[in-house]
Amino acid sequence: MDYYHSPSSIKDALSMAGKFSGNYTIFAGGTDIQIYRKQQLDTNEHIIDLSGIDELNSIATKEGILHLGAMTTLDEIISSDEIQLHYPLIAEAAKSVATPVLRKTATIGGNLLVKNRCVFYNQSQAWRNGMGSCLRDVGTICQVTGGKKDCYSRNVSDTAAALIALGAEITLMTPDGITQKPLKDIYLPCGIKFHNLEEHSILTQISVPIKPKKWWYKKLRLRKTLDFTSLTVAATVDINSIARVCLNGVSMSPILVEQTMDTLTQENLTRQARKNCKTVDNDLMPLKYRREMINVFLEEWWDSIEII
Amino acid sequence: MSGPIGKPTPFIDAVQKVTGQAMYAGDYRMPNMLYVRFLRSTESHAIISKLDTSEAESYPGVCAVVIGKEIPISFGVLPISPDENAIAIDKVRYKGEIVAAVAAETIEAAREGAKIIQVEYEPIRLFLEPEDSLETCAFHEQIHSHTKNGKNIHKTAELRFNEPEKEIKTAAHVRREKFKFAGVTHAFTEPHSTIAVWNGDDTLTVISATQVPHYLHRNLAKVLGLPMHSIQVKKPALGGGFGGKSDPFPHEIITAYMAMKTKRPVKCTFSREEVFITNHGRHPTEIDMSVSCDQNGKITALDTDIIIDGGAYGSFGVVTSYYNGVLLQGPYRINKFGFRTRRVYTNKPQCGAMRGHGAVNPRYAVEVMLDMLAHDMNMDPCDLRINNFLPENTLTVGQLRITSNGVRECLDTVRMKCDWDNRYGKLPSGHGLGVACGFFISGSALPIIWNRYPQTVVHAKLDFDGRIVMFSGASDIGQGSDTVLVQIAAEELGITMGHVQVEVADTKITPVDLGSYSSRVTFMVGNAAKTAATKVREEMAKAIAKEKGVIAENLIFNNCRIYTKDETVDLSWEEGVEIALAGRGAFVESGYYISPKLGGTFKGAGAGLSPAYSFGAFISEVKVNPNTGEVNVIKIWGAHDCGKALNPLSVEGQIEGSIHMGLGQAMSEELRYKNGQQMNANFFDYRIPSSLDTPDMDITIIESNDAEGPYGAKEAGEGPIHPVLPSIGNAIYDAVGIRMMELPITPDKVLSKLRGGE
Repeated sequence: MDYYHSPSSIKDALSMAGKFSGNYTIFAGGTDIQIYRKQQLDTNEHIIDLSGIDELNSIATKEGILHLGAMTTLDEIISSDEIQLHYPLIAEAAKSVATPVLRKTATIGGNLLVKNRCVFYNQSQAWRNGMGSCLRDVGTICQVTGGKKDCYSRNVSDTAAALIALGAEITLMTPDGITQKPLKDIYLPCGIKFHNLEEHSILTQISVPIKPKKWWYKKLRLRKTLDFTSLTVAATVDINSIARVCLNGVSMSPILVEQTMDTLTQENLTRQARKNCKTVDNDLMPLKYRREMINVFLEEWWDSIEII
Repeated sequence: MSGPIGKPTPFIDAVQKVTGQAMYAGDYRMPNMLYVRFLRSTESHAIISKLDTSEAESYPGVCAVVIGKEIPISFGVLPISPDENAIAIDKVRYKGEIVAAVAAETIEAAREGAKIIQVEYEPIRLFLEPEDSLETCAFHEQIHSHTKNGKNIHKTAELRFNEPEKEIKTAAHVRREKFKFAGVTHAFTEPHSTIAVWNGDDTLTVISATQVPHYLHRNLAKVLGLPMHSIQVKKPALGGGFGGKSDPFPHEIITAYMAMKTKRPVKCTFSREEVFITNHGRHPTEIDMSVSCDQNGKITALDTDIIIDGGAYGSFGVVTSYYNGVLLQGPYRINKFGFRTRRVYTNKPQCGAMRGHGAVNPRYAVEVMLDMLAHDMNMDPCDLRINNFLPENTLTVGQLRITSNGVRECLDTVRMKCDWDNRYGKLPSGHGLGVACGFFISGSALPIIWNRYPQTVVHAKLDFDGRIVMFSGASDIGQGSDTVLVQIAAEELGITMGHVQVEVADTKITPVDLGSYSSRVTFMVGNAAKTAATKVREEMAKAIAKEKGVIAENLIFNNCRIYTKDETVDLSWEEGVEIALAGRGAFVESGYYISPKLGGTFKGAGAGLSPAYSFGAFISEVKVNPNTGEVNVIKIWGAHDCGKALNPLSVEGQIEGSIHMGLGQAMSEELRYKNGQQMNANFFDYRIPSSLDTPDMDITIIESNDAEGPYGAKEAGEGPIHPVLPSIGNAIYDAVGIRMMELPITPDKVLSKLRGGE
């Protein structure tokens, strides 16, 4: 298999990335990417599989900060005593992703960088030929909005919502060195280029500083497992009474509302969330219902805060 | 019964299947085999204005390219509506229809060859919804030229007895309601797959994932112009059908044609997406129904107008049209009864037969309406039903002959088990119980193709090795018919199941059986197998009696011994076999089944006739989240009268499967379309309930011992699905006071109703 590459170090992975520039796909578990390949949405000639890089698979706490290696599987995260005890929100979010079998392969890094979805895009090539134009694929008109400019494909990472609500930072390695930035900064409000990543960068680690005072998590989907989210809300309140409410699945990128509880009202929160979510009819759940559920979920969260 | 009949018996092929050893159609490989891929239409309704295959023909590895005109003879499962061609000729009628086929040395070459075929379309008027098809259109716009009055109505089925419309105008209690049902599909595990081999002696062998080798056999002969004696159809291990493999399919005919043309083995296996767009699932349905009761809670009349969306071709649609109406004649006595079903053609993949064929959607409607009437009359919904049940041994208004009937016992059982009388109507808000009943045919009494042959024949062969081989055309599609054949022979001959083996579903070797559909196999094949095995026993007894000087009838076959009560004769099975075969060698005995003559003489009287009917009653318990509209089905109690459970393990499995499938249609499954294109043609977006969505089940088998069924057996594979859906709908009403008139019951619809919308 001359197209499949399994480097054993980040350095090797980066050099392969440089070598196959513009023509490689990174496997970080691959549970989602394999479907993209089958549907010929991903036609890169080379696969760089990160699963052989041991240093990327770790769960550690140092000086009160949780460090997750990007290739830690979701199943390992769910099973970790440390995470269950101190970061139950991460465990809860990870547990809501896919199915038990997929979670044994799917990784936290892979889930954070899961590609945006749209019912008109995530289809086989034969299907797309039958439907015609798609801004993200071929053509100049969006099937969802009829527009010619913007693609509204949805970010569907459940763990992104949780980790953004926890104020997580990420470590990226590039041939030029290491950079760290808030997780929320790698998402762009664009359905086509949804990740703000430099060329040849590899997400290596996620660091979670906050152990929140309160947390809340809920995911909307038709079935109790397997389905990608139609709306995920993860919320925390830290010891300084800062609320971080992150919504995902309803816009091109996760939507964070961050505000002190002293000034936050339910109305104000819902208004901000609804205003920032560019929700369009690109999921199998009806648009009107998904919008309504933003209000319902935020209300449920708000009520839970008051009870505590 | 001292043998395996009535005992929970693991399927004889279970180990083979779970260890991956069983050979499915897709597992077969032949030397020099070619692969077929298709060019499929990207238009829903269009004239094919250009079709140029020359480039594909010269593509490396491509051996043959076929277009519709080469295989011009039309076919269809029903001889009354053969409206389909193997490959579209001149026009396409749905997105995904096969426009050309390519056979090549590799799958990749076949796929690439199909891609470079040049095709152009001139779109014509689209008919995507039933209301479009009821409108008048120009002749050239019609989906099929044979429909009448400028409309795209495939079939109108109508029966009326005793003027129900008059009763409905004057009855004490009347309800008229409208219902809407999305189309659902079978979603079996194994995709369609076919291998065809052109043999050296100018015969054709087709190995295919089919529920009905016999209809495939007939349609191959018709379309390919071969005599039936030159065609062998074999069904290997099969991974589920549910009605979705009961038609002869274009890909089967094309694959066979390619084998004839290239003189090489040819194989075609569908992708999951192709399975979805081939469909043949349950029709999207609109029902307008009126039901009336007198002041004592007796149902006086039912009248209904139904439109079913058939998609582009006929399939079983004529039968489906009738079943939508006639299978409302039970399990309640309704003396004033009428229905009209119109099946329309639309530019979508065709619909056909699916578990519970034709009767599932109207069953939802009538059971919900009975619940409404019970509330109108302040009656318990169970009591209203009991008040109206048909008795045993009676005729319905349309002259369906009811024999054994355990519906009362079914309802009493689930009512008691769920503590209905203490809990119904008394649970906290958001928590509810709902009840529904149903009934279904144990095989259609009239065959699809009229002739003087039996509906099934079974041969039982005994040879010197002491082995019984049961030869049957019956198709085990996962329901366990092979195991039933073995159980019956072992039971009749007093031997172990290990002494019995099957040769099945091979039109060259096995006698004709009409196939695994309409819940006919256990009843009809079971009876024939019992006759064949009994005749082997009698033949053996005759020889042993003669040699030992005893009366044949006094010989007992049990526990691998053949003996008289006083043990003057006491032989091992092997000793008995030696005596029976002395001087003649191996012999074969034959059993057959023909339904008794049933039914009235009016037009349409044949629809719904069956030698016996199964009955059932189910209760569902749900919790509804008032904020989100999410419905959690937490428990289902099911009681099903299958006459006699020949294999209780398998009957229980069928009921569990029916609950799961019914739950799916009720709550989450639907085929969605945009501009005639399926939006969810995969197992990710077509939402079959997961194990977490599936409730606890409490299953009771009720045995009413039918006089004509083998050992008293009736069907169990389809009847149990009918009550599942309406019991959920009725439970939602008990929980939150809303009536769900549209399936699937997704949270958005529930929330909208809870908030007062429609």
